[in-house]
Amino acid sequence: MTRTTGTTARTTAGRPRATSAPPVTGTGTAPAVRFRGAVKTFGDVRAVAGLDLEVGCGETVALLGRNGAGKSTAISLLLGLDEPDEGSVELFGGRPEESVRAGRVGAMLQDARPVPRVTVQELVSFVAGRYPAPLPVAEALRLAGVAELAGRRVDRLSGGQAQRVRFAVALAGNPALIVLDEPTAALDVEARHAFWESMRDRARSGRTVLFSTHYLEEADAHADRIVVVDRGRVVANGTGEELRRSAGGNLVSFDLAGLAAESLGLLPGVVAVEVRGERARLRTDDSDATVVALAERGAIRALEVVPASLDDAFMALTSHDRETV
Amino acid sequence: MFDYLRLEVRRTLRDTGFVIGGVAMPVMMYLLFTNLGGGDDGAWRTASMVGMAAYGAVGSALNTGGGVAEDKVTGWLRQLRVTPMTSRQVVLGRALTGSVTVLPAIVSVLVAGGLVNGVRLDAWQWAATALLLWLGSLPFTLLGLGNGYRMTAQTTGIANMVCNLGLAVVGGLWFPLALFPGWLRSVSAYTPTNRFAELGVSVTEGRAPGLGAVAVLTAWLLAFGSYAVISYRRSARIV
Repeated sequence: MTRTTGTTARTTAGRPRATSAPPVTGTGTAPAVRFRGAVKTFGDVRAVAGLDLEVGCGETVALLGRNGAGKSTAISLLLGLDEPDEGSVELFGGRPEESVRAGRVGAMLQDARPVPRVTVQELVSFVAGRYPAPLPVAEALRLAGVAELAGRRVDRLSGGQAQRVRFAVALAGNPALIVLDEPTAALDVEARHAFWESMRDRARSGRTVLFSTHYLEEADAHADRIVVVDRGRVVANGTGEELRRSAGGNLVSFDLAGLAAESLGLLPGVVAVEVRGERARLRTDDSDATVVALAERGAIRALEVVPASLDDAFMALTSHDRETV
Repeated sequence: MFDYLRLEVRRTLRDTGFVIGGVAMPVMMYLLFTNLGGGDDGAWRTASMVGMAAYGAVGSALNTGGGVAEDKVTGWLRQLRVTPMTSRQVVLGRALTGSVTVLPAIVSVLVAGGLVNGVRLDAWQWAATALLLWLGSLPFTLLGLGNGYRMTAQTTGIANMVCNLGLAVVGGLWFPLALFPGWLRSVSAYTPTNRFAELGVSVTEGRAPGLGAVAVLTAWLLAFGSYAVISYRRSARIV
């Protein structure tokens, strides 16, 4: 029995975004973020191992990687919380500290616990007051969906509420660059939806947004560009569609039925082979050629062709037994 | 900077532990120690008032360090570092917070002395006592900050308590020095707490604080100040 499903790659719906928004601050043509061969070592661990990355003004970029891939360290470097051991990190063409000092950066840090004994309103007003041209506090609270919590103490909120307050803190100063480290980790579905809505609002108003995540769907749905980070370096960089293609556009699977799996990698189009029990899964960038070759060998039992998901692409890009991509 | 001071003072005053340990405790201990035994020793009531106000001020000043350690744990210090505030503003703001939050302790013990224990002083003596106790608490704020920047929240709490109790007892803030053996009395003269209280006591006795007190306190100010700066520099790398 042979059945084939559509072999064309899944297309994503068009997304509203401001790809050509002008830079908010008059800092010339320098990109908002630029890493050049940045290295940061903690003891024996090279958390960031030669990272090269550029984010243009007005772009929304996702930093995608597993836990421990180096995303948070990269963000610490770009916020000036840490210095790179080698290479350089620049914001708007200058040292990160200068941009932070000038109020061009707002950040939502990972693992931050609520500030004790302070109300939402007090906290957000205070942070807004540090910046030269902040958002009205009510606006920041509304965008983050915490307007109704204004009078509550931050340390008495639920995890999701506290996370939204941290988003309000990142937005409060109306910075040109918004950096969000795992911004939706504690949010439920509804809050997540509202969060991305607000973030898109910021992006549309010309802000540069850089967020890290390990959720593929989020990166795919909400970023102009996905930068895949693995073991401290950039392993792929492009739209979700480009990443799917680069990792092999389709997945062909069939029952081995006693057939030897060794030579499957040599078939036309095949870029990766995976065998699970009796079932072989071939990632291929030319599924037609692959299927024809399989048919010639009679390997067509329960043959199935599906477009590779972004998950597959991500697994392929970050699988540790393949050194190069 | 003023906003930061206001925010941190608010946060400190909302801390029940601070209000109980830093304000209520010294007042209660003062009233207890001076009214037990039913003695009617006016001099001890005055001296103990200054001693307990000093003890409360030291406790509150050290508590600033506990706040810093807590801010380190919650990530608040890190969050401040990604706002346009400079680290100098943050540290200075914290030190000023410490010097503001010692006031409730000083004022409430003095009020208890005047209203409950009937201590009578000239107006200038009240003002000068409060002012000197306030200024003299600065070395302890710096000691607390030094502990807070260097240690975890738990160890800061313990270190502050040990510093507080140890310095208070040895410095004669709790019991009259006359009860101490001779050798301890000479050690006591070099403690910052003893000289700190002496500032206030000399005023209540109607004379200017001695040069010795000022010299010893200045030395401690410098020592604890350097300690705070060194601790902060060390922590800047990990905060």
